[in-house]
Amino acid sequence: MNMESLAVFNNSFSLSSPSHDHFIPKNLRPSRMVSLQSHRQMPKLEVRCAALTQSTDPKSKEAKLWGGRFEESVTDAVERFTESISFDKALYKHDIMGSKAHASMLAKQGLITVNDRDSIHEGLSEIERRIESGEFEWRTDREDVHMNIEAALTDLIGEPAKKLHTARSRNDQVMTDFRLWIRDAIDAIGVKIKYLQVSLVKLAIKNEGVIVPGYTHLQRAQPVLLQHLLLAFVEQLERDAGRLLDCRVRLNFCPLGACALAGTGLPIDRFMTSDALEFTAPMRNSIDAVSDRDFVMEFLSANAITAIHLSRLGEEWVLWASEEFGFVTPSDKVSTGSSIMPQKKNPDPMELVRGKSARVVGDLVTLLTLCKGLPLAYNRDLQEDKEPVFDSVKTILGMLEVSAEFAQNITFNRERIQKSLPAGHLDATTLADYLVKKGIPFRTSHDIVGRAVALCVSKSCELQALSVDELKSIDPVFEKDVYEFLGVENAVKKFSSYGSTGSACVASQLDHWVTKLEINKGV
Amino acid sequence: MNMESLAVFNSSLSLYSPSHDHLIPKNLGPFRTTSLQSHIPMPKMEVRCAAQAQSTETKSKEAKLWGGRFEESVTDAVERFTESISFDKALYKHDIMGSKAHASMLAKQGLITVNDRDSIHKGLSEIERLIESGEFEWRTDREDVHMNIEAALTDLIGEPAKKLHTARSRNDQVLTDFRLWIRDAIDAIGVKIKYLQFSLVKLAMENEGVIVPGYTHLQRAQPVLLQHLLLAFVEQLERDAGRLLDCRVRLNFCPLGACALAGTGLPIDRFMTSDALDFTAPMRNSIDAVSDRDFVMEFLSANAITAIHLSRLGEEWVLWASEEFGFVTPSDKVSTGSSIMPQKKNPDPMELVRGKSARVVGDLVTLLTLCKGLPLAYNRDLQEDKEPVFDSVKTILGMLEVSAEFAQNITFNRERIQKSLPAGHLDATTLADYLVKKGIPFRTSHDIVGRAVALCVSKSCQLQDLSVDELKSIDPVFDKDVYEFLGVENSVKKFSSYGSTGSACVASQLDHWVTKLEINKGV
Repeated sequence: MNMESLAVFNNSFSLSSPSHDHFIPKNLRPSRMVSLQSHRQMPKLEVRCAALTQSTDPKSKEAKLWGGRFEESVTDAVERFTESISFDKALYKHDIMGSKAHASMLAKQGLITVNDRDSIHEGLSEIERRIESGEFEWRTDREDVHMNIEAALTDLIGEPAKKLHTARSRNDQVMTDFRLWIRDAIDAIGVKIKYLQVSLVKLAIKNEGVIVPGYTHLQRAQPVLLQHLLLAFVEQLERDAGRLLDCRVRLNFCPLGACALAGTGLPIDRFMTSDALEFTAPMRNSIDAVSDRDFVMEFLSANAITAIHLSRLGEEWVLWASEEFGFVTPSDKVSTGSSIMPQKKNPDPMELVRGKSARVVGDLVTLLTLCKGLPLAYNRDLQEDKEPVFDSVKTILGMLEVSAEFAQNITFNRERIQKSLPAGHLDATTLADYLVKKGIPFRTSHDIVGRAVALCVSKSCELQALSVDELKSIDPVFEKDVYEFLGVENAVKKFSSYGSTGSACVASQLDHWVTKLEINKGV
Repeated sequence: MNMESLAVFNSSLSLYSPSHDHLIPKNLGPFRTTSLQSHIPMPKMEVRCAAQAQSTETKSKEAKLWGGRFEESVTDAVERFTESISFDKALYKHDIMGSKAHASMLAKQGLITVNDRDSIHKGLSEIERLIESGEFEWRTDREDVHMNIEAALTDLIGEPAKKLHTARSRNDQVLTDFRLWIRDAIDAIGVKIKYLQFSLVKLAMENEGVIVPGYTHLQRAQPVLLQHLLLAFVEQLERDAGRLLDCRVRLNFCPLGACALAGTGLPIDRFMTSDALDFTAPMRNSIDAVSDRDFVMEFLSANAITAIHLSRLGEEWVLWASEEFGFVTPSDKVSTGSSIMPQKKNPDPMELVRGKSARVVGDLVTLLTLCKGLPLAYNRDLQEDKEPVFDSVKTILGMLEVSAEFAQNITFNRERIQKSLPAGHLDATTLADYLVKKGIPFRTSHDIVGRAVALCVSKSCQLQDLSVDELKSIDPVFDKDVYEFLGVENSVKKFSSYGSTGSACVASQLDHWVTKLEINKGV
């Protein structure tokens, strides 16, 4: 019984704890394998469900719950092709939660008896227990998670189970399950985003005062504080979390009671189920409730943008770990070797972070393509919405966690960085600012410093190695005080604008995050 | 001088007005052709810019504004390949707005004189006038919109223009422009979304009481009020607008003053420029400010989801306009004929709405792919972010507008719809609810009605044609009162749950939208 996708997801709830040993990349097995397997007959497992023990003969097919008007059963190929139980069983917890809320409402409204409700609740709890202990038999001939659970409930408690589907369709049921599942997934991803932010801020705290080259076009640009650079990623992640929260607010409306598409004439109370499941309110239009998947597209978009951000962090650290940069050394705990080259120590986790962003983007494109041009209301195509979501969530959780672990396990090579700083004329813009302060228009300053840089290039020296006379030969405005603006330490000290790399500015950014993320600075 | 992109965008701002004749699909010429042209040298146009009149000789290249340290100029192929003026000139208005705010701030901070500021403002206003009257010469050798405007300003006002770029880089400048542009685009799209919602609600109001078949799996499911169906699209659009507004809130922070990547040591006031440009606040981290494009990805995601929604509306109406459905007739104003088949009247606009969704998704995928794995901070790759955005905005505005016009120009064929209703046993679920009300568990009811439907199929009749005896032969619980639940009109009347298709429920939905969209019901 492959509950792996679920297991990974459930684990994520405890991610503030420091034991993340299941997150070695090898374990991040693609959940899509599951869908490939779905075209093969699933192996029958030992049957424990009491009332079921008679019907294990795979040849004698059980009648479908919707079989009233049908005379023939579907072919095996159709059954295998259309089943979803191999992946949608991941929804079992939320399906049971929804069914319990529905049963309570039906009882309150007099549509079933209190006894019915109680035996339904008891039966569902027993089924949940069996699923979690691995004793439950998931049957392909029962199509999906909803039918599997309902049929098992009937096996367990008999007649009352048949009343559970009153004023409900699988169309609104699955949407309820899926919204609840994604709501939990968003919370889990939120926890992981915060965890990565904390790791990055802590890394920044450990590296106070370190100056690194800032790049544009991957060419040396200006000197920046390493803290400033690390906090840029923290900013990105904050917006990622914001997108997920907006998505959560928008999706948190309850489709249950929309039934097949048109609602029902039975006296149900949609507000009661909505409240019980902690939705904001029931959805206003039943046709909209069962046919749209925009909340899925929005969720996968948010994940895709986060993934792209993480791919950029991955690229940064892979670059920085190269011999040519040599700015960071990952610890052995987050590196791997080569099977042939004994000297290799590769930053694989961050390469995979960069690489796995492709899957997350792919999952989004799958959903967009899936939904294009679908007429109202529910169409079976929409069954294909689950696996991309499961894959996206599993992948993004892994990417976030591994990035955080990597952040906890890299050392910045201060000496190497220090030695590299003189190259690249990082102080040239500061020198231009010096001229502006002397009253020269910026474009003219830019031109003058450009000529000074050309002189350095021809002499193979740094700006601060030019004599005052050499500088004066370029423009007479240069004076002795120019040396206060040259060299990376001086250059960094001169930054003062809001959000800039000046020490005071970066310190106040750091304070902002330490407070916001509730980090104990002593640790 | 191709200002088409801008023209389409600007005209969209006045979309409350009823004259939309520029939005016939034919006029939606593909934006992308502009970018193809960028590889051909742009035709030089008559030069009007006073100080420039001498330098029209195309062979003698002007020195670049960043040319200080360079000895050779770039090859023609590189210049053509890297230029962006052919498309980024669409940002001129926002570039000028940003430059004016920047100049005011520089003057207030004593970095330029008040006289400098005034002549910069005057010069920029003149340039804006020249651009809008088509008299401005956009020069490929001046690379982009920023350099074109700044160089033209220098030609016009001389020395003060050289001070404008003080404490600013093109990196923060272009992002300021782009955020301002997208902010306006969001407002324009918001107006169009509301306009389409408005058109759909009016269409609903014109069709009170019309019952249509509701479909799932494109099979007849339950009878629904046409109003209910139309309002489902209105719900989708409301969430689309919400996503755009969330995006607007998140992007409305000011990057200006982040400069190249590290900020500046000059005493600028970033809060002043941020306020002047109606941003919420300056961005907190200068490296983040110039390197990220998540606001673009988020915007294009929101557009893509809207486009998918519109593709579904397109599919619905194309289906409904077919001979086989025959539920709607588009007026001649929104239809086209065939060049060979005289009888044809095609619903092309909605086919193109369905089709153009592909471009909008493509634009999103372009941005995601573009940003993947980019190291900090600015990289020239990012120049490729503009055309997909311009394309996405132009396409989505066209899709929204044409959908609204289509909604205003279709007639529902009530008789044809009415005649079609008996087929498909739309009342079967209502009949199952009848049995539930008699105390039969839902699963058993489902089975009983399934057998009744099978009997109808064998007799080629409808459920209401079965006699009480025939029904009783299936299950003795049937009684004479069953006929109150049969037939589509009876069936629709029985719906009562919140959000359902019952007349009272749909009327209250309609009221919600009439109030929210401030529609005058009398019109």
